[in-house]
Amino acid sequence: MKILKIVVIALVIGFVHKTNAQTADEILSTYFENIGGIEKLNAIEGVKMSAKVNQQGMEIPLEIIQLKNGKQMTVINFQGKELKQGVFDGETLWSTNFMTQKAEKSDKETTDNLKLEMNDFLDPFLNYKEKGYQVELLGNETIDGTETFKIKLTREPITIDGKEEQNITFYYFDTENFVPIVAQNEIKTGPYKGQMGEAKMSDYQEVDGIYFPFSLTQGIKGQPGQGITLDKIELNPQIDDAQFKFPEEIETTETPKN
Amino acid sequence: MKKMSSLLVWSMILLSIAVDAQTDHILSAKNLFGSLNARHIGPALMSGRINDLEVHPTNKRIIYAGTAGGGVWKSNDAGTTFNPIFDEYCQSIGAVGIDPTNPDNVIYVGTGETWTRNSVSVGDGLYKSVDGGSNWTKLGFDKSERIANIIVNPKNANEVYVAVLGALWSDSDERGIYKSIDAGKTWNQILYVNEKTGAADLAMDPNDPSILYASMWEFRRTPWSFESGGANSALYKSTDGGATWNKIHNGFPEGNLGRLGIAVAKSDSNILYTVIEAEEDERKGLYRSDDAGENWKQLNNDFGITVRPFYFSRIVVDPRDPNVIVKGGLNGSISRDGGKTFKSLGNMHSDIHDIVFDIHDSDRIYAGTDGGVYRSMNGGTTMEIVENLPLSQFYHISLDDAEPYNIYGGLQDNGSWYGPSSSSGGIEARDWNSIGAGDGFRVLKHPTKNIIYSEMQGAENVWRYDVENNLLKTIQPLPQKGNAKLRYNWNAPMAISNFQPDRFYMGSQFLHKSEDMGDTWTIISPDLTTNDKTKQEQENSGGLSKDNSGAENHTTIFTIAESPLDQNIIWVGTDDGNMQVTVDGGRTWTNTATAIEGLPKNTWVYHIEPSSHEKGTAYAVFEGHSTGDMNPYTYKTTDFGKTWKSIITDEIVGFVRNIQEDYVNPNLLFLGTEFGLYITLDGGNSWTKFTNNMPSVAVHFIDLHKKTNDLVMGTHGRGIIIIDDISPLREITSEALSKKVHFFNSKPFVMKDQGGFSGSFGTETQFVGSNPSTAAHIKYLLPKRHTFGKMSLEIQDMEGKKITTLSPGKSKGINIVDWNYTIKQPKVAKGKTFSFGGFTAPRVKEGTYKAVLTKGKDTFEHEFEVVYDKHANLTAEESEIKYQTIMKLYDMTQDLAYMVYELDATLEKVTNKKLKNSLNELKETLVITTGDNYVGSAEPQLREKLSELYSKLASSYDKPSSNELDFLSMLEERFNNAQSMFTKYKKKAKLKDLQLKSFNDFINE
Repeated sequence: MKILKIVVIALVIGFVHKTNAQTADEILSTYFENIGGIEKLNAIEGVKMSAKVNQQGMEIPLEIIQLKNGKQMTVINFQGKELKQGVFDGETLWSTNFMTQKAEKSDKETTDNLKLEMNDFLDPFLNYKEKGYQVELLGNETIDGTETFKIKLTREPITIDGKEEQNITFYYFDTENFVPIVAQNEIKTGPYKGQMGEAKMSDYQEVDGIYFPFSLTQGIKGQPGQGITLDKIELNPQIDDAQFKFPEEIETTETPKN
Repeated sequence: MKKMSSLLVWSMILLSIAVDAQTDHILSAKNLFGSLNARHIGPALMSGRINDLEVHPTNKRIIYAGTAGGGVWKSNDAGTTFNPIFDEYCQSIGAVGIDPTNPDNVIYVGTGETWTRNSVSVGDGLYKSVDGGSNWTKLGFDKSERIANIIVNPKNANEVYVAVLGALWSDSDERGIYKSIDAGKTWNQILYVNEKTGAADLAMDPNDPSILYASMWEFRRTPWSFESGGANSALYKSTDGGATWNKIHNGFPEGNLGRLGIAVAKSDSNILYTVIEAEEDERKGLYRSDDAGENWKQLNNDFGITVRPFYFSRIVVDPRDPNVIVKGGLNGSISRDGGKTFKSLGNMHSDIHDIVFDIHDSDRIYAGTDGGVYRSMNGGTTMEIVENLPLSQFYHISLDDAEPYNIYGGLQDNGSWYGPSSSSGGIEARDWNSIGAGDGFRVLKHPTKNIIYSEMQGAENVWRYDVENNLLKTIQPLPQKGNAKLRYNWNAPMAISNFQPDRFYMGSQFLHKSEDMGDTWTIISPDLTTNDKTKQEQENSGGLSKDNSGAENHTTIFTIAESPLDQNIIWVGTDDGNMQVTVDGGRTWTNTATAIEGLPKNTWVYHIEPSSHEKGTAYAVFEGHSTGDMNPYTYKTTDFGKTWKSIITDEIVGFVRNIQEDYVNPNLLFLGTEFGLYITLDGGNSWTKFTNNMPSVAVHFIDLHKKTNDLVMGTHGRGIIIIDDISPLREITSEALSKKVHFFNSKPFVMKDQGGFSGSFGTETQFVGSNPSTAAHIKYLLPKRHTFGKMSLEIQDMEGKKITTLSPGKSKGINIVDWNYTIKQPKVAKGKTFSFGGFTAPRVKEGTYKAVLTKGKDTFEHEFEVVYDKHANLTAEESEIKYQTIMKLYDMTQDLAYMVYELDATLEKVTNKKLKNSLNELKETLVITTGDNYVGSAEPQLREKLSELYSKLASSYDKPSSNELDFLSMLEERFNNAQSMFTKYKKKAKLKDLQLKSFNDFINE
């Protein structure tokens, strides 16, 4: 029923605005209104998502934790063993090595780039002005057979192989419901460097008054992607800080000589 | 909502009736292609023609390549690899220009290649990006056809200069030098000569942006000749930002001039170089000025400097040394003494069009050739090809019926090739086989023998290659006593009969037929062309530089098409506008192109597609771009050509090269134009451009594979592009569109067993073509994208038991979801390390399955069939034994997992030390309890052995061997022993309050 309601609201809003030119801010404000309202979104301290990835017939259960203070991790369960990936305590980014099953730190550049995302919790568009981000409506585009608004989001520049680069993402908001259905950004590193990465969002469902996309498909633009299905989203989960801590193995000398 | 849409339909119908009472029902494919995606397979090993290279002025990692037919590619690793950034727009590129004041963001692209060979494509204007190439805006110049240079004032980014070379085959006043003072919003033509003379080159003084040099070139092509040079070709200079211009010819040769290149030395802008095409051979070549153009001195007229000016006139000066200059050419030439003497650049593909120096290091040079981009680390002596630019320019393609099928085709200046539509690990450079030299065009596989026909330009050689025995001969029809000289097109037509495998056709001005694979020939037609003598004087072609390569041969046959329904019906199209048909195997011929409404006389017949549904039906594609007529022309006849009806609508952009009719649904047609692929579902009443991973590239030839329903396109700039299995398009009807979900039918899916090693050596920097998916495809049509609410997709057996869940597609239109025939991987006992075999998911048995799509409260079901791969050669009984054995191991793996879970839980509670030890000892025989996942691994235990055998069988095509079965019974024994031992320990432990998950909960958690 609630879903129906929101769709109807979105339809009405869409109709009202149809004759007027949309601005990026109008689209974003309708978006936030449609998914639950800015106050509610701002009040959330963290999310815990249980998901499944189906890869080549292999079903991999995941647990993704993201907190407002920037702490985050993904826990993969393989054969009853938990492998933590992309764990970030606000300072150190680390993952479990698949071979040794021990924690290893990510390189400094990757960590520094992630630190820039600490203020992006829940949605980078949330309070984007205070964060100094730029938002620009580029126009209408059809994607997935659906009419969308294409919005460009420019965040803090990131550093790639020692050189500063712009951090730009293009979001496609459904003109009917005003929610993003696709996001694209240039892949900056790794074997697909230079190509466009793409995430498709769907199955928006309500969790405690807020709508989240429960289905994501990620991959390279123009190629079949990898689907992730969320089974459950828990808001404001209680997570022990120790979970994010990098388990030090090497003794760090307190006072380095010379 | 429903009311509204039906109202809409009604008003549309009414509207169409009002406009044209005869217009048929419209069934548009707009927004319906969904996840039907194009797949690029290259090849990239010979790459393709490059028109312009451009370096970022401050970041040496960034290089742009403007290609002749494959768009703009950007490298961000100093030319090691490139990615396309201009796919949605015209792919023929003349120039790339970077704003030096904002080089990360502002890029200009001028479309339309400028090295004006016979086969060039056309541009459609100037584009600009303000975000490094992610998004583009068109700035006009719609009729410019080719743009030679774009220069942004380094001191004022609002000031932009564009050199428009303009139309190649017609008069045009959109030529010359243009200037914008508002960063491209508005433009002024600041240098114009006449409608025949365009701007071939433009340079700016690096120290003074108000000083400009522009070369103007008088030139014209017709389909049968080329003219370079005239009284209006000249070199101009402006010292006031283009307001006034003066010729600077002091020291130039007398008489008419041709194409001139111009370059200014960055390190000393008084030093200029120009390359001059002149009347006298002795006075052609390189000229230098040391006083900013006041006076010129001839330095060199070597072959490498004067060769084919229309194709090579780029001259580049080392930004750090005014005496190091490089000239494009057949091999490319470099001088280190200010232009007095030259040596060739290092070995690379011939035909060098552009060269750029690295911004910091002159040892690092990049060259753009007819065969891709090359890079040098030693000043141009050793050249190394960029291996990931799939820019191959196909003229024609054909397919065979092998599994996987092969694609055959010929390329501009890059020979002829064939390669597979799929290959282990992807389609790599080494999967392609050379099957012809020179320029390649049509390549045809003998329908039953392992023989391939190929050709080079003008049928100079038509090869018949016996693949099996590696034997080669040429078979082109030769002139015979009493017959006229044979006139072959540059791209001479050949065809194989659909009825007689050894029958082979070739076209000169006559149609030649051979019944013995080209050993003997009979002429079965009169001269089918207009035989207009004024179009046959190719030895006079070229203008100031004679150029009789054969590329301008005219009044020739261009297309031969035998009806797939009747071998006596043969269609022949000529380059001078005749479309001849015989219905009696060549005894009589009728020219059916005499009066087609809206079609200018003598328009090139580019392709004829006889219908596979009706004998009298055919489609004819005409195109007149080489006379300056860029309109699309495609007609349909249903009466052997007596009458023709246009099937072109306003939706089509670009002239047409090819059409493909579907074998099943006669209303489903595919149209290849200069700017991409168009599809109609309603016989041509409405067309929709296909853009899913499909660039706006010139589609020269299309074929539809009968077995796989793959649409295969030979593009002129992006290699072979395939849309796998277009069969869903056949089923889109207004009825299907009115359903909440429409499932598409499919043939039984084969669970492929075939597969080998991929050995992906070198693919880090090489282009690798993607393979088609071998999974089962659940295909359905959604009338609207699913965005809100839950939507899920399950595979079930016929009893409704869930086999697996998949991520459903949500797009409006066609959705294709892959299922690779497997159930979930087994739950594996928890150990210290992973049991890698346990990651294998086993396949289901062959049979019928259900896809169950749940969308909100609605459930939709679709049954489909999967079958075993015949190549494995197993009997039904053997397949059953294989399946049962794998499932036995699967179950044992899960039983063991539960046993270990129970054991761990027991261990936690047990207090008795001895019992604890016994349990631990037992556990150590069940799973690995030490070591890591790499070389620190411990001795494998029961879990590892079970999963090893399980995955060995599950990944094999074969039935279990006796060796494997013996091993299984050994493991079973060990398993049973472990189980009874554990039962004994459990009794001893007497843990009555032990809380355990049930087996099912444990497995499904």
